[in-house]
Amino acid sequence: MSLIDQMSMATPDLKLRRRVLDRITEATPVDCFKCGKCTSGCTALKLLELKPHEIVNLVKLGFIEELASSDIIWTCVTCLKCTERCPQKATPYHVITALRNLAVEKEAKVPDKYMKALSNILETGLIQNVQKIALTETEIYDRKSLGLPEIPKIGLKLSENLFKALEEGQK
Amino acid sequence: MKIAVFWGCRVLTEQYAYELSLRETFPQLGIELFDLREAHCCGDVLKSLNKFTAFYLASRILALTKQIELTDLLTPCNRCHLTLTEAKYMLERHRQTREKIEELLNDEGLEYSSNINIWHPVNFLHDHVKLEKIKTVVKRPLTGLRFATHSGCQLIRPSELGRPDNSETPQKLDVLVKALGAQVLDYKEKLDCCGFALTYSHPEAAFSLVGAKLKALQELDVDGLVTSCPDCHLMFDAKQKNAASTIGVKLELPVTYYTQLLGLAMKIPAEKLGLQLNQTPIQKILMKLNERYQAGFH
Repeated sequence: MSLIDQMSMATPDLKLRRRVLDRITEATPVDCFKCGKCTSGCTALKLLELKPHEIVNLVKLGFIEELASSDIIWTCVTCLKCTERCPQKATPYHVITALRNLAVEKEAKVPDKYMKALSNILETGLIQNVQKIALTETEIYDRKSLGLPEIPKIGLKLSENLFKALEEGQK
Repeated sequence: MKIAVFWGCRVLTEQYAYELSLRETFPQLGIELFDLREAHCCGDVLKSLNKFTAFYLASRILALTKQIELTDLLTPCNRCHLTLTEAKYMLERHRQTREKIEELLNDEGLEYSSNINIWHPVNFLHDHVKLEKIKTVVKRPLTGLRFATHSGCQLIRPSELGRPDNSETPQKLDVLVKALGAQVLDYKEKLDCCGFALTYSHPEAAFSLVGAKLKALQELDVDGLVTSCPDCHLMFDAKQKNAASTIGVKLELPVTYYTQLLGLAMKIPAEKLGLQLNQTPIQKILMKLNERYQAGFH
C-alpha cells in the first residue's frame, strides 16, 4: 500500500501540523508547489521509494501521526540535494528531521541504532565506544598501540545538562 | 598558525588513520593543532532525535574553542562540519534558541562565541594554507598516479549556509590532489552519496548505494579513491566488502584519506599515516610509488 493510500483512511491533525511547522524555522514547507525537483534528485527514491515532495505535502495536509510512525521518514540519507535544489525553500530534509523528532517524542518506532547512539552519548559523550581494529587475528590496533592520545573525558555537568536539553527540545 | 581541532566521534573511536595522518602532516605545514578540553559528539546523530540537544552539543564545541582562546576550529568530518555550521547559523538567527543554549553553557562556566571560523581540511588547505605552500612540502611527487575524489554531500550542501566547496561542481579536493603531482579523473558519479546515514536504518540499501559508486569507479582507469570524511571513508573502505557482497560484484578499489596521500608525498613512512589500517588494497598504490622511487617502505 502506498503512502498516499494509507492516508485515505486517516484524518488530518491540524494541531500536530502546527507543532511540526512551528519547529521548522529554517524552511517554509507550506510554500511547496510540487515541482518535484526534490524527488527527481532524491538519493533514496530508487532505493527505498522516498518521495520528498509527497512527505512535504502530507505534512501540509496534516497527516502527521501517520508520517511520524511510518518507516518512510527513516529512509532519508541526508544528502541534502533537496535542500540545495528546492526553489521554494520548502526543503524536505528539514521536514523529515522535524518528523523524526516527533517520532521520538511520540515514542513511535525509531531505528535501534539511533537510540543506541543516544544512550551512548548520554553515558560517554560519544556515539559509540572506542573500537579495536582487528585486521587479522593477530593484527589488532587500538588508540594506544597506534600512539594516539587518550580521549579526554566529559564532565558530570554535561551529562546533567544533556537531560535538561532533551527536555527542552520536546517542549 | 594555531588551530583548535574537534575530531568527532568517528575519528576518535574508529577512523584512526585520519587522526594519525592529520597529526603527522599538518605540523609540517606550520599548523599547530590544539585538542579541546573535552571530546563529545557534535550533535549530528541527535538532529534526527532532538534537534535542540544537537545544537546544544554543537554550540558547546564552539564554547570549548573559545575557552582555549582560539578563533579557528578544524574538524575533519563532513557531518561535524555541517552540524557546527548549522548550529552557528541557527544561534545567529534565532534569539530564543540562543538564550536557552547560552543558559545551559553558562551553567557550567562556558561561554558561547559566534566568532569562531569552522574549517574542514579541504577548505583549510585549499583556501588558507594554499597550494603554493603545499607544493613546498612535497618531497616525492605522486607523478603517474591517477585518482578520483569524493567530497561527500555534507561538505558541499546546503550552500546557503556557506559550505567549503561548490554544491554541484566541487573542485577543491581535486586541486589538492593535483598539487601532490597526481592526476585526477572527473567522473559521472562524483556527486553520488556514500550512503553512510542509511546504515542506521537500512544498511542493505546503504551498501548497495556505496557498491554502485565503487563499481562505477572500478570500471574507470584509476589507482584509487581519495576521501576527506571519516563516514564516507568508512563506507568506501571498511565497508567495501559488505558493498561487494550486497551487489554481487568483486570490488578491489584502494581508498585513502587525502591526508594519507599528502603524507606519502611528504615522504612520511606509511605506518605513521595509518595506511596499515586501510582495509582496501592500498598496497597497489604503495607498489606503484615504490616502483617509481625504489623507496624502502611497505
